[in-house]
Amino acid sequence: MVRVESLEKTYPGRRGAPPVKAVDRVSFQVPQGQLVGLLGPNGAGKTTIVKMMCGLIRPDAGQIFINGKDMVCRRTEALVDVSAVLEGNRNIYWRLTCRENLEFFAALKGRSPREIQPEIARYLDLFKLNDKADTEARKLSRGMQQKLATAVALIAQSRVVLLDEPTLGLDVQASLEIRELLKRIVQDEGRTVILTSHDMNVVQDTCERVIIINEGRIVADDSIDHLLDLFQVKVCRIVIGESLTPAQQQAIQALPQVLLEEENNGKIALTVPLEDAQVLHELFGILAANSTVICAIEQKQTSFERVFLEILGRSEHGA
Amino acid sequence: MRKKLILFWAFLKRQYVYFRRYLFNSLGGMLTLYVVFLLILGGYKGLVAPAGTEGDTLEALVVGYVLWFFLMTSYQDVYNTVRNESLTGTLEQLYMSTHGFGWVMGANVAAAFLANLVMVALLLTAALWTSGAVVNIDVGGLLPVLVGTLFGPVAIGFAAAGLALVFKRIDSYTQMVQFVLIALVAVPAEKAFWLRLLPGSFGASLVRDIMIRGQSLLEIGLAKLVLLFLIGIGHLALGYGVYKVCEKRAMVWGMLGHY
Ligand SMILES: Nc1ncnc2c1ncn2[C@@H]1O[C@H](COP(=O)(O)OP(=O)(O)OP(=O)(O)O)[C@@H](O)[C@H]1O
Ligand SMILES: [Mg+2]
Repeated sequence: MVRVESLEKTYPGRRGAPPVKAVDRVSFQVPQGQLVGLLGPNGAGKTTIVKMMCGLIRPDAGQIFINGKDMVCRRTEALVDVSAVLEGNRNIYWRLTCRENLEFFAALKGRSPREIQPEIARYLDLFKLNDKADTEARKLSRGMQQKLATAVALIAQSRVVLLDEPTLGLDVQASLEIRELLKRIVQDEGRTVILTSHDMNVVQDTCERVIIINEGRIVADDSIDHLLDLFQVKVCRIVIGESLTPAQQQAIQALPQVLLEEENNGKIALTVPLEDAQVLHELFGILAANSTVICAIEQKQTSFERVFLEILGRSEHGA
Repeated sequence: MRKKLILFWAFLKRQYVYFRRYLFNSLGGMLTLYVVFLLILGGYKGLVAPAGTEGDTLEALVVGYVLWFFLMTSYQDVYNTVRNESLTGTLEQLYMSTHGFGWVMGANVAAAFLANLVMVALLLTAALWTSGAVVNIDVGGLLPVLVGTLFGPVAIGFAAAGLALVFKRIDSYTQMVQFVLIALVAVPAEKAFWLRLLPGSFGASLVRDIMIRGQSLLEIGLAKLVLLFLIGIGHLALGYGVYKVCEKRAMVWGMLGHY
């Protein structure tokens, strides 16, 4: 269980630069066994929040509790329950092999190499690094290095795992693999995973809950499904197969809610919000008057990307 | 205690792995040291001048060089670890150790010292054997004094590493530290009490007592040895204090990584 309360951080301006307010009154709680995404545009403050949760950056104000232990005042105790991948493949020793990396970092967390041999075998297996166990990390692909870094964070058996941009710079395949692994870790081991990303797909695919950060503030904290529902502007697209008469065109243009688009194949698409039944009825009336052929009626989904942009837009306008 | 031992073993194993993996390079380093020992045993004095050992018995020359070697490597073990790992991105992971960073660095320095000690012992033995020279070194007496002397350079290493965390590009300044170390061992600490308070100086003068004046540890006396360690611990507290202040700055500025 992670509890963050009114966290604040302003980086002091250096060399004449003005101070930067990176994190502004951020509070949230994450129960055991949840996979949460911190989502936000570049410079939103995600990395700063994560590094404060690891005790690497000192907050100006606020509190961080990891399983009840205070990260600011009792760092080493709180660190027992946290591990993190902060810089992706830079968080491992490139000149050590996979196995040596796992052993070394386990020792840093106080676990003897002997007692963790079974776990090393299990993670090498899970992350499909078996045949690379004795290969130096520098000789692995970017995706494998990233997987190793994640395995290193897991080997400590800490209950909370923080991952800053776990899929940055990976190809589709490698990114998918890491996402699947993360889901499994949460499901099978009941760990709490908090990851940051500015990739909507990553968050939508892996996280049950998303915390959206913009300019250091939380602008949304909800389940993805609920956010989608909340912002779902249900619209339908009516595709007609023949050209409209000038009278029809005029009548449709008089309805501001209807968007008229000419498609490449010569067909015409009319986009109408579903909640406005009156407009829908009028539109069908106009089409019926000339017995216009309707090729298709489809309901359109709002993508999470649109929801995300909508939330950011509202937060910036102070709504 | 068991946990600290685990940590120490982890660093020792890392030393060994690097040594084995880059065997060609490691052997090159060993060869250099071996040749140096051969030169010294053959009576060549040019190399030992920096160590400030004024006597010119073979023993004094050898020990003078070994002392300088350990001063340099202990300083570098601290400074380079912090500096390099901050650049490569692993320093933050060291900071997330449940042992606390002080213990992590302690284990690192101790492991490196032990590895160097074994290497020096082996190479010196080999050089003695090949050159046929005979030296009479009171190892039992020297070792405690050597350990006590190394607190100084380790303390300087911490202070320099702290400054590197905050100011980043200071390599051109920290390169001067090796000259400072040379000067510090050459200080005639027996001449005035306050000179003993300089890092490394008192230890170096005790080494001279053993090597040149032929004193045993007993003749030096427990009082001086305790004083050596007290001064060393004082230096360490000071150097680590400077490091802690810099570390706090770095944590406020978010600069433990490479930002
Ligand atoms: N060490 C630092 N010193 C000064 N300013 C910093 C420092 N680190 C980050 N910042 C600034 O603080 C703000 C938040 O940065 P942060 O790295 O937390 O964002 P982020 O959400 O992780 O962005 P990204 O998606 O690009 O990784 C940015 O304006 C950034 O320029
Ligand atoms: Mg970031």
